[in-house]
Amino acid sequence: MKLSMNLLKRYAPIPVSPAEYEERMIMTGTGVEGIDDLSEQLENVVVGKVLTCVPHENSDHLHVCTVDVGAGEPLQIVCGAPNVAAGQLVAVAMIGAKLPGGTIKKGKMRGVDSYGMLCSGPEMGVPTELYPSVGDAGILVFQEDYPLGTDVRDIFGLKDHVIDFEILANRPDTLCVWGVARETAAAMGTELNLPRIEVKEDASSSIGDFAKVDVLDSDLCPRYAARVIKNVRIGPSPAWLRQALYAAGMRSINNIVDITNFVMMETGHPMHAFDLDKVAGKHIIVRRAKPGEILKTLDGKEHVLKGGELLICDENGPTGLAGVMGGEESEITEGTHTVLFEAAAFDRTSIRLTSRSLGFRTEASGHFERGVSPQTVLDGLNRAAQLVNELDAGDVVSGVIDLYPKPVVNQPIVASVARINRLSGVELTGERMVEILKKLCFDAKAEGDTLTATAPCFRQDVEGEADLCEEVLRYAGYDLIPTTPLKGAADGKRSTGMLRNDLMRKLLSGMGYYETMTFSFIAHKKLEQLGLEAGDDRLNALALRNPLGEDSGFMRTTLLCGVMTTAQLNQAHGNEHARIYELGKVFDNVHRTAENLPSEYYNLCLCAYGESEDFYSLRGSVEVLLRQTGVDYTIVPTAETWLHPGRAAAIVSGDETIAVLGEIHPAVAEAYELTGRVYIAEINIPKLFAAAKPMGYVNGLARFPAVSRDLALVVAETQPVGPMMDAMREAGGKLLEDISMFDIFRGPQVGLGRKSVAFSLRLRAEDHTLTDEEITRVMNKVLKTVSEKFGAEIRA
Amino acid sequence: MSIRDELGRLDEEMEKDLGTLENLSALEALRVRMLGKKGQLTALLRMMGQLSAEERPQIGQLINERRERFTRMLDERQKAMQQKERELRLQLERLDVTEPRPLPEVGSAHPNTLVLNEVVDCFTGMGFEVVEGPEVELDHFNFELLNIPKNHPARDAQDTFYIDDNVVLRTHTSPVQARTMTTRKPPIRIICPGRVYRADEVDATHSPVFHQIEGLVIDEGVSMGDLKATLAAFARRLYGSDIQVRFRPSFFPFTEPSAEADLTCVSCRGKGCRICKGTGWIEVLGCGMVNPHVLEMCGIDPHRYSGFAFGIGLERITMLRYGIKDMRLMYEGDLRFLRQFREDVKEG
Repeated sequence: MKLSMNLLKRYAPIPVSPAEYEERMIMTGTGVEGIDDLSEQLENVVVGKVLTCVPHENSDHLHVCTVDVGAGEPLQIVCGAPNVAAGQLVAVAMIGAKLPGGTIKKGKMRGVDSYGMLCSGPEMGVPTELYPSVGDAGILVFQEDYPLGTDVRDIFGLKDHVIDFEILANRPDTLCVWGVARETAAAMGTELNLPRIEVKEDASSSIGDFAKVDVLDSDLCPRYAARVIKNVRIGPSPAWLRQALYAAGMRSINNIVDITNFVMMETGHPMHAFDLDKVAGKHIIVRRAKPGEILKTLDGKEHVLKGGELLICDENGPTGLAGVMGGEESEITEGTHTVLFEAAAFDRTSIRLTSRSLGFRTEASGHFERGVSPQTVLDGLNRAAQLVNELDAGDVVSGVIDLYPKPVVNQPIVASVARINRLSGVELTGERMVEILKKLCFDAKAEGDTLTATAPCFRQDVEGEADLCEEVLRYAGYDLIPTTPLKGAADGKRSTGMLRNDLMRKLLSGMGYYETMTFSFIAHKKLEQLGLEAGDDRLNALALRNPLGEDSGFMRTTLLCGVMTTAQLNQAHGNEHARIYELGKVFDNVHRTAENLPSEYYNLCLCAYGESEDFYSLRGSVEVLLRQTGVDYTIVPTAETWLHPGRAAAIVSGDETIAVLGEIHPAVAEAYELTGRVYIAEINIPKLFAAAKPMGYVNGLARFPAVSRDLALVVAETQPVGPMMDAMREAGGKLLEDISMFDIFRGPQVGLGRKSVAFSLRLRAEDHTLTDEEITRVMNKVLKTVSEKFGAEIRA
Repeated sequence: MSIRDELGRLDEEMEKDLGTLENLSALEALRVRMLGKKGQLTALLRMMGQLSAEERPQIGQLINERRERFTRMLDERQKAMQQKERELRLQLERLDVTEPRPLPEVGSAHPNTLVLNEVVDCFTGMGFEVVEGPEVELDHFNFELLNIPKNHPARDAQDTFYIDDNVVLRTHTSPVQARTMTTRKPPIRIICPGRVYRADEVDATHSPVFHQIEGLVIDEGVSMGDLKATLAAFARRLYGSDIQVRFRPSFFPFTEPSAEADLTCVSCRGKGCRICKGTGWIEVLGCGMVNPHVLEMCGIDPHRYSGFAFGIGLERITMLRYGIKDMRLMYEGDLRFLRQFREDVKEG
């Protein structure tokens, strides 16, 4: 909210610099976004009188003038404006003057020296709000008499600052000059001088003879008040009013409309002015809209209403949306003769929903949405009438229509001084609290520990002791709050989930992986590009009702899409190799919680590409994670639409698939614009840790020697090695300490479609040196098993 | 030639040959020639039989003395030669230690994770327990229990993503507070890190997905001074011991009194710079005393207990910590950005 500092100073003196004022207001709870010095836009421009004005010898449109600026010799200035004439009072930009367009220098125009410039309104950046006739062609000619040499900023009201206040949601009462003035006086310790509202009524007429108001839905309109102005004299507003509106960023229209806007700015009460003669039956009816009812708004558009919106109607039907926008029919015009001023309090939710659903946000609706106190409605209405008196814009008819069936009164709050101090940590006496509250217009008293305070009628946010604590504290100073370390011991700890993730991250860092993060949203198209089969739970993603765009319409059910996109970005940015991962939540929309929310759990997605990466390097990284968490697992070939059919593996433990990994299918890689071979794995963290075993006891070092035996077995090319090793391990029993594969040989020597796999077996007994018979027995058993199960033969 | 003469000759030979040795194998040959089973000294020993009983012990002693001396001489010589040879080898093995080689690549956690870990360490050290909650959240916990009823204007400020009328993507981590208060009895001392969502378009300082760290303490006699001390400890830990905390009055529906907590600008250390717009302070988080109405709605007696809550924007403090100017870098995953991060050792 932007306000003129000069206007504010009329109600509360500000004896400090703008910067100090800003600081003090911020520290007492009124936010300030910034302060603009209006005077900076115009410097060294003064009132001057054109003494002589003759046509330029070498030009058909320039004039050479002598101008008296009240000091020194008259200046010779060449002027191109058609309206320049001797005897005029004009705005003279002296040499060195600062205008919005630049600085004025001594010039020479077609051979004649010019010591300055006569300015038009636009050249000075002065709009009609600041001086009425500036819009006319040519230079600005002052209509009033001013001493020569007067700084024009004094005339235009530009010796001012515009303060941009940031009003907190709970303080709609400060969304106006008076509200800020109250805070200012309290913050500055200065006297608050709000005007006394007095209305001079025309005793010869009574409002009852002019207008009638009925509020049919008082739940949405707790108070509706009106006054009538007759013999309206529409005209321009005086300079002070135009300037005040200008500083607040509003346009000046005419005296009546300006009064309504000014009163809203001053008191926070949105006002509406009706041309009463255009109100059918001179009867205003406030009611809910019926479904399907049609309303034509000021902008000429017709709206079909849903029903329930609060309407302002006359006897012909709806004319405006209460608190949001008035009707075209009863708009104030040059010919308006009788005006009805409306000031009201409307239900903020109703206004909010109406303005939202019809897409109208006006200054008035903004005030009503944040909350206008019904208690102060008459202040706004009467202030408008008072300004009509002051501006002589009409005659105020005697009497007020005031429909206020359930008057609201702020109730006293009884609080404890000690409890307030305990909450804030600051020791204040009851007297000090009363002193502060009184400055904030509360009715307050303290007796012993009991503080009794009633909030002023314009405050609707004060509900209890904690609110009083804040009021007192913000003026006593938040800086007084001490630092008192928490008392009492407590066991701090990370959650199990966090500890699990910590372990994963630590291991991955060690293996050269970098953590990435992507948004939790995905496009459904990205899921489809994985080629998932119909019925796959991952396709049934949770949809957002109001996504930012098509690309972010669903909650991710897998990390694959995000990580592949990150890999693609890295390829596009020229990163030739990458090891990346994301550890984040996925949202399972199929298996829902007891609260009927989707199941959320962490997945881990690893991705690698580059010269030194292959299927086995990625699988190795995954296996490290499994081994470091104590998971017993088997690797089995698997089929996933998004993986290369011959390079896809599942990690299985018990009945659960913990992870799926492999090389990205070329079709999927193409859809994601990935180049080369890219390897990816997705691990289900809860399943991994369900299979994880804590570390147990370790073994001492063996005391008896081991025996090594190598074994080269010829099997079919298609025979996976993993199951062979599992079978050999089982057959070898306790004496087979370790088995590893050290070579695979393919060639004519072993036959087409066959391979020779070489294993190294290490045998050892815990309690004695193995005998030859024992060794032979184990080896024979191993051989028998592989030959029976896999048709393996010893390589000759 | 007498044995004595022979011994004298051997002395000379030994002296001479030892001086001309070229390598270790020549030394070994000399050792064999002198001291071996078929060596000259052994041969002399065999001649002892020819000597008289008187001479025998004298000569025997002379021979033994030589055996010891020759052995010592050869050993010393061998040691010297070995040392020289090793020096020569070491000389040849000299490497250019400045020659560049590829390093084993060690990865890193995301900057958000690195800073979160510091924050969590700080708060667990003060007795806070980490609690997590759902990101797809009931309106009831995200808004209602936090004093933000339906159609409250505060909802507008949070630009909520909706699933349906009753389910939202949480707009803050505060619903974890509400969930905890409704299920646990005080004393409560928790922090709740996690993702939150707001319908903001992406730019350098905004993201529809970001992280918060919520803190909540409920106990008897908890004051705003406790809140300030807790945040001061956090600020010092993260940014250094010269960092101060300043409270400014503010408003949140679920706290009363409420405050914005500013920290001494981490860039200029309070002198005033572009980052803090010359004020010396940077806005970092919102906090306050839990609104008694919220306590009551969550089933905690506001007359007996009080508490404080705060919400830290993780991206904000991470960007301040590492001088990151554009939030988009954090969600793109470009390795040129990520490879700059590593874990710091932080003193407690």
